[in-house]
Amino acid sequence: MKSMKGKDQMEEMVIRIEGLSAVYGRGARQVRALQEASLAIRRGEIFGLLGPNGAGKTTLLSCVEGIHTPAAGGVWIDGIDVRRYPRVAQRKLGIQLQQTALLDDLTVAELVEVYAALYEVYLDRAAALALLARFELQDKTRSLARRLSGGQKQRLALALAVANDPEIILLDEPTAALDPRARRAVWEIIRRLHQEGRTLVITTHSMEEAEALCGRVAIIDAGRIVACDTPARLIAALDAAPVLRTQFDIPLEQVESLPGVRMVRYSGEYLEIETTRPQETLAGLQQAAVQQGRSIADIMLRQPNLEDVFLRLTGKTLAAWKES
Amino acid sequence: MKQFLKLTKAMFLMHVRNRTTLFWNMVFPIFLLVIYRVAFGDGQVGAVSYMDWVVPGVVVFNILAFGLLGSGTMMVEMREKGVLRRLHASPVAALPLVGSYLLVNVLIALVQCVLVLGFAVVVFGMHLTAAGVLRALPMIIVGIVTFVALGQVVSGVAPSTGMAIAVGQILNFSQMFITDMIMPIDAMPAWIQDAAPYLPAYAVAQLVRPPLLEGTFAPNLGSHLLVTAVYALGAALLAAGLFRWSPKR
Repeated sequence: MKSMKGKDQMEEMVIRIEGLSAVYGRGARQVRALQEASLAIRRGEIFGLLGPNGAGKTTLLSCVEGIHTPAAGGVWIDGIDVRRYPRVAQRKLGIQLQQTALLDDLTVAELVEVYAALYEVYLDRAAALALLARFELQDKTRSLARRLSGGQKQRLALALAVANDPEIILLDEPTAALDPRARRAVWEIIRRLHQEGRTLVITTHSMEEAEALCGRVAIIDAGRIVACDTPARLIAALDAAPVLRTQFDIPLEQVESLPGVRMVRYSGEYLEIETTRPQETLAGLQQAAVQQGRSIADIMLRQPNLEDVFLRLTGKTLAAWKES
Repeated sequence: MKQFLKLTKAMFLMHVRNRTTLFWNMVFPIFLLVIYRVAFGDGQVGAVSYMDWVVPGVVVFNILAFGLLGSGTMMVEMREKGVLRRLHASPVAALPLVGSYLLVNVLIALVQCVLVLGFAVVVFGMHLTAAGVLRALPMIIVGIVTFVALGQVVSGVAPSTGMAIAVGQILNFSQMFITDMIMPIDAMPAWIQDAAPYLPAYAVAQLVRPPLLEGTFAPNLGSHLLVTAVYALGAALLAAGLFRWSPKR
């Protein structure tokens, strides 16, 4: 188990990414997946890579993992150049790929032993059981991986990622396709790994997840890193007002003329009204509803969040992303 | 070494727990023997009965199918599922990885051969000598390695499991009847008789049959070994060049 690091060491850079560009394919069919990305990830933080599918998050992780050769730039893990010494760098990493890639005809206990052995870490049965117990899989040790539920599979993937007791853990969409309960369980595990002093890098396209877990996030869109900071500072930098969110159907022009309104937009089936004077805006909306002989069935006031940051930086809404 | 053993154990378990592989590797060969017995049981090939003659042929045909279909397809499947990608992201070296895969393939194919021969001895009363089996063993291993290498070329070329099976089947069945495995080469048109010696399945069949039937090494041992070695080396080099960790995108 890793002990908590001192404050000075916490600030130390553990992953340095400089001018990283990556392409797939050749010639006319070449796709630029990543363009001049630079990042510095600090020891002991949970760092989030936030962006829609196809933004370049997985490609960025693949370059860090040493399984994709960048077209330009480089990655250094603890000062080790991944391109020159991939196997030395890989030894420091715990990895969970997006596609849960398991040898699924093996049992849970066998898988832990094999994945540790890939790093020349040899766990005896007792050590393997102790590891699995931390992920609440102690009753599943003899089950074949293919027979596990989605949540159990994901917990197993996390157990495999730490089988070699790594300092740095890279998790590619650790909660994708999980139900809310299983997702919470994975969050708890991630927090615990963080408390053990490990550095975690996770990719996600969930704003909620990034805000709940990550000390800092980088927002990636179309292969470029468009922002990188703590969620709080990214939101503060927006200088955005609270947002009223409703399904009430009313022409945009009419809303724009209400007191305090800064901006109006549709987000999915919702109307979102950014306003500096929410109470007065709400009163105006109510009045409009009464005039039309209708009532407002739902309305919610929320503070600006990472979703607004993404919208501001990329011009795209979360709803538009999910479709893309 | 410890890493190699762990990987070997894992790959072995993967093979034996996969029911499809198990059926094709262990049940189908026996099924094939029974069919030949029913269809051609009374025939003669030269001085020996067709049944005795065909058993070594079935042994070779099965390791050919295992190499081209079993071994190659399993690699494509691991690539499609992302298992190879995950292995690539770990610091494991190529040698223990390739070594354990090859060792497990050779072991499984050998078990398959033991089953076929054991069945032929027990059920059909085939006569085998210890000296013959000992002489056949290295030839069978040479054959397995050659066919596994060819299977890895298929897996390198095929974009998906489906395509790997299709290509493997074509190579497998195109050699089935024209390489002196199942049907005597004498029954073939002259041009096939001229071309067959350059096919890997023919060469391996010529290497395996004499020790099993007569307890002696094959006549023209050198030339058949040469043909086999050319295929094995060529295929291994080609497979290494074509190998990829992730599906094409």
